[in-house]
Amino acid sequence: MKINKIIVATALLAGTTMPALADYPQRPIELTVPAGAGGGTDTSARKLAVLLEQKLGTSIAVLNVGGGGGSVGASQFMQARPDGYALFATWNSPLTTVPQVQNVAYTLDSFTPIASTSETAYTLCVHPEFPAETGEEFLAELAANPDKYTYGNDGIGGTMQLAAERIFQARDIKAVAIPFGGAGETLQNFLGKHVDIYGGSISPVLPYVGSKEAKCLVVTSAADVPALPQAAGLESLGLGDKETLLWRAILGPKGLDQAIVDTLASAIDEAVNDPSYVEFLAANGEIPNVVKGEALAERLKSEFDALAAVSKALGLAK
Amino acid sequence: MDFFLNAASAVLTTGPLAAMLGATLLGVLIGALPGLNPVMAIALLLPLTYSMDPLVALAMVAGIYNGSMYGGAIPAILLRIPGTPASIATTFDGFPMAEKGEAAKALKIACWSSAIGGIASALALMSVGPLLARATLQFGPAEYFWIAMFGMASVGVMVGSDPVKGILAAVLGLLVGTVGIDSLSGQARFTFGQPWLLGGLDLVVVLVGLYALPPVLQLAEKCDLRGLSAAQLKLASVPFRKGEVRSLLPTWGRSSLIGIFVGVLPGAGGNIAAFLSYNAARSASSEPESFGKGNPQGVAAAECGNNADNAASMIPALTLGIPGNVVAALVLSALMIHGLQPGPQLFHQNPVLVGGFMIEMLLTSVLILLVGGAAATRIFAQIQRLPGVLLVPSILVLMCVGVYVINGRPVDLWVMLAAGAAGYLLEKLNVPLAPIILGMILGPMAEQSVRRALLISRGDPTELLTRPISAVLALATLGMILWPLLRAIKRRRAKKASENKP
Repeated sequence: MKINKIIVATALLAGTTMPALADYPQRPIELTVPAGAGGGTDTSARKLAVLLEQKLGTSIAVLNVGGGGGSVGASQFMQARPDGYALFATWNSPLTTVPQVQNVAYTLDSFTPIASTSETAYTLCVHPEFPAETGEEFLAELAANPDKYTYGNDGIGGTMQLAAERIFQARDIKAVAIPFGGAGETLQNFLGKHVDIYGGSISPVLPYVGSKEAKCLVVTSAADVPALPQAAGLESLGLGDKETLLWRAILGPKGLDQAIVDTLASAIDEAVNDPSYVEFLAANGEIPNVVKGEALAERLKSEFDALAAVSKALGLAK
Repeated sequence: MDFFLNAASAVLTTGPLAAMLGATLLGVLIGALPGLNPVMAIALLLPLTYSMDPLVALAMVAGIYNGSMYGGAIPAILLRIPGTPASIATTFDGFPMAEKGEAAKALKIACWSSAIGGIASALALMSVGPLLARATLQFGPAEYFWIAMFGMASVGVMVGSDPVKGILAAVLGLLVGTVGIDSLSGQARFTFGQPWLLGGLDLVVVLVGLYALPPVLQLAEKCDLRGLSAAQLKLASVPFRKGEVRSLLPTWGRSSLIGIFVGVLPGAGGNIAAFLSYNAARSASSEPESFGKGNPQGVAAAECGNNADNAASMIPALTLGIPGNVVAALVLSALMIHGLQPGPQLFHQNPVLVGGFMIEMLLTSVLILLVGGAAATRIFAQIQRLPGVLLVPSILVLMCVGVYVINGRPVDLWVMLAAGAAGYLLEKLNVPLAPIILGMILGPMAEQSVRRALLISRGDPTELLTRPISAVLALATLGMILWPLLRAIKRRRAKKASENKP
């Protein structure tokens, strides 16, 4: 009898705790994307989901929850159960930028970082007749003429604007920020010469570098970007610690089991480095970048603190 | 010419042809079901096409896009329920025509107008696309401001018999448009501390509620237990009467041009194209008072305008790499997945694919004529035979599904319900609903543009008028406001002259 009881007890115990670890995943996963269907975050998440389905052997349903620069999706997701069947595919802004200017219900602690997937730098470009040929000359020209130049960006208090302002503040530069609805709109206004400087992601402006209609002089990554040979990385300008990137990651709700995190992180690592995904990223001007677990939490924290300082100095902080 | 010949030989193969046919039918269906919209359908479909032949994938995009723009007209005409936001203007004259027993004719005109608008737009894309795209670059924030003002001035044409109520409706739209984060200051407006309001009220959600719920409720009011019998539903194909096509030609020409113009400008959309076309047709008509009471010209203008927006909206995306709307952005991402870099050199990189997509936009417009007409009368119009007690709940379920899928937020269902209740009440009070949508779309566009323009000019308002294009647009706006006044004066003089004659 006693032995039976022990067997039953172990079986029960196993029944309640074990399958979550050993047999994960057993049912479909819901992947929340905090943006509308069709944008960069959505397409990269959907493409990744197709690959993750193969690695994990379960289906993944993408749920688009747009609005509030990603904060609506993040707020809705933080209430999900940490059982590994609710995941969050986001870019960095809803976590590190939006909370600086909006009152949001979540903090970085509301999530369990699993792994980052890809990243890309922002760039600052000018028209060919602009009196500067290098990143250093460009910043010097801006510093010498406060409030003379306008730069288009992805939105007020957005990551792109903060990325630029981090550089500007370090060099005591004052330029007029003109917020647009996205890089496409910024590019349109830059090509039509309605603004002096294009500020935004690299891939939309790339064709115009080839056709000599745009001169990209600065990128917001520490290192140079091979596709933009004329642009200076921040390291070469002595501003290496001001790096701000656009990057994407997959997170879980707070309190996600470490074993599930590890399973997912290694599956994501494999999927991201799949040749078809690397090719897809390259077409969008992004490169794979997998930072897992604790290191990812650290990255989020330090970016959050740096952007808090910039937005405070800009008077944008809530 | 070789450019299109090579592309055509790639398109005219089994795969793309079958995809176009199926997708056009599917598009008509998606458009005809209120709540479902082409953007969502294409967004869901595209990831499935990553591994497909790109020409087949793009054929599906073209078919769904063009088909749905026409499909929206079917419930708009038969039930006064716009199937897509772009078919709101179609209800103005389409439904009165149906009430007069001319549903079959209205559907036929919608079908032909959609096809002609789509064909004109595709031809513009194939011929002058790059030129047009370059020209739109001259439109900066100041010009966008005036385009929005021009659209708003046209509210005057739409207010109906009671101008006070019309203006009230427009102001209501402007107010709803201000909800959410102000994109220029980052401040939240009218959000009452509710995080779900930060992104503003979703346009499509409000539109579905405002325009589709009141007609559904009206159907419910009638509470008919039997639908139309087959005998009552006379939808057999009616041939065009002599001279009818000729009388529609000027409207088709005008609406195609308006639709192409609106389509090329990034940021404007099919619904604006339909409204402006409708207003232009009304202004040009010798009997403007017959509009809204079942004038075929109104259906032709709206449907031609919204389809002419489609292919033209691909122009900035394909030639400059600047997506003007979500569908164009999806097409660009599909091209990028196949290793193409959007931008001026796209045509040289893969002429077969780019030219092929253009041909597919053209062919799917032609396909509307073939499958659209038959689908509308043989399949979709049959839903009128359903009794109201079945039709009302079915439409409501579809609307809820469509609205939920847009943002995946349950709260949107309440927004739709509230907008629907408001729309129902406003209709009972004889407040026109059309100005609300114009206020909602054009208000934010005008506000953001004027503030951007002033940021760029460092607060100098004269720059809104001194740039050549904005000066022309400002004059056009003034003309739009004065036009009804001048016309009234002219009419009064003519009346006086005839009275003095005896």
